[in-house]
Amino acid sequence: MSKEFRSWRRRVQALDGVSFSVRQGEVFGLLGGNGAGKTTLVKILLGLGRPTAGRVEVRGVDPRRTRARRRVGYLPEGHRFPGYLSGEAAMRLFGRLAGMDEARITARTSELLDLVGLGERGSDRISRYSKGMTQRLGLASALLDDPEVLFLDEPTDGVDPVGRRHIRDVLLAARERGTTIFINSHLLSEVERTCDRVGILHQGRLLREASVDDLTRPTRRFRIRLAEGQHAPPACLDRYRAAATNGHIDVEVPDLGTLNQLLDGLRGERLLIAEVSAQRAALEDVFIEMVREESAS
Amino acid sequence: MKVWALVVDTWREALARYTLLGFLIVSSLFLLVLTFALNLDIVDGSLAAGSLFGKAFDLHGDTPIETVVTTGESAFAAMLYGLGIFLAIFATGSQVPNLVHRGTVDLYLSRPVGRTTLLLGRFVGAVTLVLANLAFLCGGVFVIISLKTGVWNARFLLAGGLIALVFLSYLSFMYLVGVLSGSTPLSIMLPYAIYIIAMPLMAHQHIAAAMDSRLAATVVHGLYWVLPKSAEHGRDVVQLVMGKGDPSWVAMGTTLAFGAVCLGAAVAIFQRKSY
Repeated sequence: MSKEFRSWRRRVQALDGVSFSVRQGEVFGLLGGNGAGKTTLVKILLGLGRPTAGRVEVRGVDPRRTRARRRVGYLPEGHRFPGYLSGEAAMRLFGRLAGMDEARITARTSELLDLVGLGERGSDRISRYSKGMTQRLGLASALLDDPEVLFLDEPTDGVDPVGRRHIRDVLLAARERGTTIFINSHLLSEVERTCDRVGILHQGRLLREASVDDLTRPTRRFRIRLAEGQHAPPACLDRYRAAATNGHIDVEVPDLGTLNQLLDGLRGERLLIAEVSAQRAALEDVFIEMVREESAS
Repeated sequence: MKVWALVVDTWREALARYTLLGFLIVSSLFLLVLTFALNLDIVDGSLAAGSLFGKAFDLHGDTPIETVVTTGESAFAAMLYGLGIFLAIFATGSQVPNLVHRGTVDLYLSRPVGRTTLLLGRFVGAVTLVLANLAFLCGGVFVIISLKTGVWNARFLLAGGLIALVFLSYLSFMYLVGVLSGSTPLSIMLPYAIYIIAMPLMAHQHIAAAMDSRLAATVVHGLYWVLPKSAEHGRDVVQLVMGKGDPSWVAMGTTLAFGAVCLGAAVAIFQRKSY
């Protein structure tokens, strides 16, 4: 699928031959820098925009059709809720537009506002909400119709660490209920913690689509933790080009044999080893490396 | 249910943004001024003396009260035609720009509601809003004059209906401008501009005859037939109140056609537009 924005002055290729599928019940993260095309892609998936070429289906239906958006939740980036409404009134409006009956809207509004921590402020006007509060209202609104598919564009934008954790818990609970979740984010640590699979989008092209485990596979880097108050002799560390920081020894070895030689060396010095852990590549490192390679080529 | 939700939303927005209150305040001021400024002295069914803003009417002989009232009402109807349209455009000009604002339109369009339903739902909301306001303004003037004179000229209310129909065309045009530009100032200014430009076009035959080029004459005729007939409707409102014949159906038909085309175009563009 491709999308080109045309104006009389210039043409911008926002998406270029993007192709992927998201399985039912999985959490899919779309990673990309600013201007990579993430929001354009989500908008096309929701029928807010149309592709210049190619085909898009959500649950087997063209998203431009009204029925494709039944039981689909969306939290847009930079959303602007009508400030003249209260949180509850906004939920009622969007519930009615979703075709929900009044009793269910009332029940879900109360339940969801409590869930996102806005139960006490539901009757306040949205214009009096902080950014984090509107973001949480956005999440509640997206969850209103008990969605089968949830699209979240920068869901933790402007939210403090506690709120972020709260949002992550809400999303993980939704996943437990079988909701398919599509997250757009450039907060890679969040994506790493929440998503099953990710796609990396750069300048409108999907560079890679893989599971988080595949992308962050174990490296040859290990972290060795010694018992409290013990320190490895520098000579031993130098031999393996290991570095000691804050009671940890970080080392990169060519094979497991070398790692065990180092451990034998430490044991030979009568040091107690508390933990040996294999280090995984951080998603952030993988992402930056991939984008850098692509830019260079 | 969905249309109802959008109508309620339109009213909430008008209330919260004080446009409804502003309309009501201006209308109420107009009605209050009329109540206290209009003084009539009726003796045996004839107007013995009367004044508006303290200025005495120039009466000739035994003028029947009905004639005086209908003449007065026609003047008010002409005034309301301008004031009503002015206020209504002002009260509804921000409707579509607020809807299509980035970050807001996404919230509406991501629901299982058709774009046509969404736009027309807001349109219906705006129509109910303006009808209520016009009913208050025209109905208020009608009640005050009728109570003061004892003459109940129902044709005055018909004039209110005519004003509402003309406004529908302007509202449709505002929706088209709003969908195309997303700009509140443009959505308010362009209907005013059309209202004013269309005024002299009532004399399009004379204007075209004075043109040197045939193309320019054709343009003048074309504009006359395409744009709402502001001047004709003003004249019709007066004639309707005075009972001097029916409104010009051609003028009304072409004005409504203008509105229908604008609304149709607004819906079609909104359907196709990417947000």
